[in-house]
Amino acid sequence: MASLNQEFGIRRVYEAESRNASGVALKLSDREVDLGSKEYALYQKLAEEVPGIRSEKEIAADLGMSEPQLRRLLQAFASAGLFYRADTIPKTLSGVELHTLFNKVLPSWLNEAFSHPFWDKMMSGKGSRRLYSGWLIELYHYTRNANRHMPLSCAHTAEKKIKGMRAKHYAEEWNHYHYFLKALKALGFSGESIEGSVPLPMTLALSNFMRQAAREDIVSYSICSAVLEGTTVDRGAYNPYYETCAKLYDLPQESIAPIYAHLDLDVQYQHSDLFLDILSTIESMPAARAGRALEYGHQLIEHIWLWTDSIDKYYAIDGNSIPRPAFSQALD
Amino acid sequence: MQTHPILKRTAKVTQRTSDKLAIAYLGEEVTLSGPAAQLFGKMLPYLDGANDIGKIAERIGESPRRVQTLSEELGKTGLLSFKDLSGKMTTGEEFYALHRRHVNEWLQPIYNHPFWENVVTGKASRAQVLGFAFEKYHYIEGAYEHMAIAAANSTPEMMPHLARHFIEEYNHGDIYRKGLQSLFPNDTILRAQPLPSTRALVNFLSESAAKNSFGYYAGNELLQMTENTGDAGDSSSIDDFYAAMRKHYPYTDKIIDAFIAHTNADQKLGHENVFLEMCQSVPPLTSAEVDAALNIVRSMAEHLYLFMDGIDTFYARFPTIPRLPSDLLSE
Repeated sequence: MASLNQEFGIRRVYEAESRNASGVALKLSDREVDLGSKEYALYQKLAEEVPGIRSEKEIAADLGMSEPQLRRLLQAFASAGLFYRADTIPKTLSGVELHTLFNKVLPSWLNEAFSHPFWDKMMSGKGSRRLYSGWLIELYHYTRNANRHMPLSCAHTAEKKIKGMRAKHYAEEWNHYHYFLKALKALGFSGESIEGSVPLPMTLALSNFMRQAAREDIVSYSICSAVLEGTTVDRGAYNPYYETCAKLYDLPQESIAPIYAHLDLDVQYQHSDLFLDILSTIESMPAARAGRALEYGHQLIEHIWLWTDSIDKYYAIDGNSIPRPAFSQALD
Repeated sequence: MQTHPILKRTAKVTQRTSDKLAIAYLGEEVTLSGPAAQLFGKMLPYLDGANDIGKIAERIGESPRRVQTLSEELGKTGLLSFKDLSGKMTTGEEFYALHRRHVNEWLQPIYNHPFWENVVTGKASRAQVLGFAFEKYHYIEGAYEHMAIAAANSTPEMMPHLARHFIEEYNHGDIYRKGLQSLFPNDTILRAQPLPSTRALVNFLSESAAKNSFGYYAGNELLQMTENTGDAGDSSSIDDFYAAMRKHYPYTDKIIDAFIAHTNADQKLGHENVFLEMCQSVPPLTSAEVDAALNIVRSMAEHLYLFMDGIDTFYARFPTIPRLPSDLLSE
């Protein structure tokens, strides 16, 4: 008989919202599962034990139940959508089916990416012009670093059709960092100080992760690219951020206008459709390849969260250099 | 004659009294008093590399000899440098000394990270403690990537060092995996995914390895300095850390055995002098090469800090452990 860790998978819980004495609401990408306090404790225990080495017998004994009772409990959680049987994972799927799946989970992923307290801090007036500027500097580096991964994705793609689509995307995006440079100049930074600065490690990590994806598989790279595009398509979500920051931190309009121009250009190019165009060329792929792509997509979300955390921590400290100069033997 | 003095950006000048000041730089402090303090105070606005000794003397109404003498004395401490107009080269041994001095400073934030204290006092969560073990495993297992890339892209003089480095260390991840097997099935460990911050460290090592053999190893040396310390004081504080971890988190017993086994394995390799030998074997470096290598080293320290901070911050917010990979039903 397969062990529990081979038999069951655990669904990703995007948020666990406490309902005080009445229990917890677990938010999945496609549903919300309400558990009483006792059931939640059992769920937590199983989520901890299922990937571990303990036998079914040991886990059941620890929970004070028999093995059949443990099975029934797991089955109940599976019916609620919190666990799933590994043998129900499809063996193959089409590119379009992967895109459908991606579209279903993307809102939950983006919520996770932007769940960092930085955003509330900025919107509530607890941020600062310095923090806003720091975030913009890192956005400049991140956009400029597209030149480190976009062409690499073309170089490592075997299929001519996909290679062409990726090359066109690069041709349309490669110099967009100028928009951020323009915005930073309006905030009083010199072009030289920005161009000669170094990004935070986590900003560099984003492009290094994209380079890793580019070398491994074009589907994995393209899902990451689609996640990044997904962060810029909804102007309704971003305008309030910029407008509020402009008011709260006395930002000149000239520092906001280039960012709007950039967002508009992204929408105009319809880059958000590129992932579907690429996946439409793939009739069938093994589940392992699609799973790996989903893993890349979700890890990119985690990168964005940690990137935000790094920006928040570094630029909140007044003594830290802004922008960050490169090391120089003569000066340091 | 040295001209165009520059006060280092990280030096901090503190006026103690009207005729006494202190200049702190890389963990050391130089104190000036009386006429020397007054002279330095007058020179300070001009120590940006844009003015030569004669010009500074003229601007502050002092003799060039006095300005020159104080500049040279401060130059010996390292807190004042001189704009290099001569194209002077740095020998490997000089680079080694420079590296040691900066690295000791750059490692301080890592040693001071609150994560260590949280483990020692039992405040760290299960996810953070097991996360630490998993991320250490992923980082060490990353040798398969960055050490291999380094060997495959090395300069001729670095090749024997980098080849030996990979061959001696590529399987050290297995030591950590053995520890994790006390709690998780082998297949789960092999499939587990690192944090973005751990991935960032391994990827930065790999990227450096591909483009700058010497800079990569200089950065790697910083990491080695935190791993295989033979210093008695350091060893004692590491032992205290493991003892506290065993006490507060008894389920990590076998994992700690693996940590110690890895430290012993590293020490047995006798790598403590390899970097010095390597520095002795490279041709003299231009100032651009020194800057390129030390930029990698400083960034490595920042990535190591990110690695620590990622464990502390990420597992506190997202406590799922182990981090199993996505599949078609998991999301």
